[in-house]
Amino acid sequence: MSSVNTDGHYEVFWPRSPRQTAIKSLAPRMETLHGKTVAQLWDYVFRGDEVFELLEEGLKARFPDVRFVSWRDLGSTHGNDERAMIAGLPKRFKELGVDAVISGMGC
Amino acid sequence: MRLAAASSVGLGLPNIPVALVPGHVSIQSKEELRRNVLDVTLERVIENLTDLPAAAREQGEPGARDIVFTGGFNAVNRYFCDNELSDGLPIVPPTREAIEAFLRFTDRDPDEVLGVMLPDNRAATIWSIAVNGVMAGCRPEYMPILIALIEAMVDHKYGVEHSGNTPGGEALIILNGPIIKELGFNYTQGVMRDGFVPNTTIGRFWRLYLRNVAGFLPHKNDKATYGNTWRVVVAENEDVVQKIGWEPNSVEMGFAAGDNTVTVARYTGGNPCSSVCGSTPEEMLPFIADGVIKHAGWTLTFTVGTNMGTLRPLILLSPILAETIASAGWSKQDVKRYIYDHARIPAWEFERQLQWTQKPIWNLTEEVRLGNIPKVFHESDDPNRMVPLVWKPEDYMIVVTGDPLRTNAYVFAHNGGLGYPVARKIRLPENWQQQDVDRAA
Repeated sequence: MSSVNTDGHYEVFWPRSPRQTAIKSLAPRMETLHGKTVAQLWDYVFRGDEVFELLEEGLKARFPDVRFVSWRDLGSTHGNDERAMIAGLPKRFKELGVDAVISGMGC
Repeated sequence: MRLAAASSVGLGLPNIPVALVPGHVSIQSKEELRRNVLDVTLERVIENLTDLPAAAREQGEPGARDIVFTGGFNAVNRYFCDNELSDGLPIVPPTREAIEAFLRFTDRDPDEVLGVMLPDNRAATIWSIAVNGVMAGCRPEYMPILIALIEAMVDHKYGVEHSGNTPGGEALIILNGPIIKELGFNYTQGVMRDGFVPNTTIGRFWRLYLRNVAGFLPHKNDKATYGNTWRVVVAENEDVVQKIGWEPNSVEMGFAAGDNTVTVARYTGGNPCSSVCGSTPEEMLPFIADGVIKHAGWTLTFTVGTNMGTLRPLILLSPILAETIASAGWSKQDVKRYIYDHARIPAWEFERQLQWTQKPIWNLTEEVRLGNIPKVFHESDDPNRMVPLVWKPEDYMIVVTGDPLRTNAYVFAHNGGLGYPVARKIRLPENWQQQDVDRAA
């Protein structure tokens, strides 16, 4: 029986290419939610309207002076205009005095 | 959670905190959802907003031109599978010699970046196209087609970042132009069957590129609930199209007749209309219109929903059907108009279908009043009024292909704005004719 190696010999290249984004720092956190403004971003799926309503209820019970910018005022993060919508968010947040953001719903 | 963990890496935020709602919200009662959000999610939301997670560190990766493995055929394939660089079938080892053979079929710089794709945020380069083309089993002369495909993939209108959504739709590539015959694509019987080298390997290339460069790996960024294998390239039968005086798909996509083009869109499924009968369009087309209706369920959300007006169903007509319809003096546009007028459902049924998508209830009357959708969706207050499935006749796409002598059609259910039809011209290198001679030799 022949012992010749028929499996060949190959030096192969990586089929991916480098990522174009370096690691970014997360935004500084708040010490407390008292008196802060929290924006809600929703992609209009998976019952986010109900989830945000419940979160508002829970957060207000713990921090009565917390304020919210509703998803209704910001529009959907998923749909025909999603790129423009997301690109415009920093400006919108600044205008609205937003301190923090909760974004949902992934599933 | 796994999706959040996978996609946050490409965004440069691998440590972004996530608050989980236990279970799946879609099957929870209001009471269960309330309990889960208030007892579990709320605490994590507060924690995430007030505690800064530990800083993330870069994970080392190979460079674009790094040799990542050396060994025999079987060992190379094991390496590629173990490192999620393959689709599970054996790959052709991407060696320098093989890659350079592909690069000879383009005038473009190997380092040219065609775009950057989410979720992995990697650059789509000419070099990486060649590497994945080799792996897929393509021949070097397919390179101009592969480049055109990735130009389409990075087009924002296509929406590649949505390729991992849970319905698991798969792309279909439509090819037009003389290159169909030059490179030996199948465009007749069994056109969607594997077994024809260019059709099959180029279809595989698309999926490999989605995995390796865009970053859609199952159990990570690819969240297809079921999914299916990649589709082979569908080439239009341009001989028949020309004979009956119809415009090829390439012209409908904005190019000149005779241009070599690729068109790409994502479809969630499809089904044949088997044995269409009749000697006139009026006798034949009701069957096909009915097939179109049967493929318009939840995807109507791409007509009226978060991706307004992006539903583009595709109909493949066999040559004998197209010839018979054309012999009555009908154009492709006439067929689209017929389908638009006859593939209709009651308005109440349209709104009922939209409820399955868990989005807020969409009211056709209100959407027309707000100017968000065409008036055809509210021509009266009668809930039984018949409304179309798409915004306009041109939203239907028709391609002539398949067995020339079978009276079958095929209807594809489209994935709307999450894989919108995009086309690109295939640019041949300066030395294409010479390469042609070389190929023949």
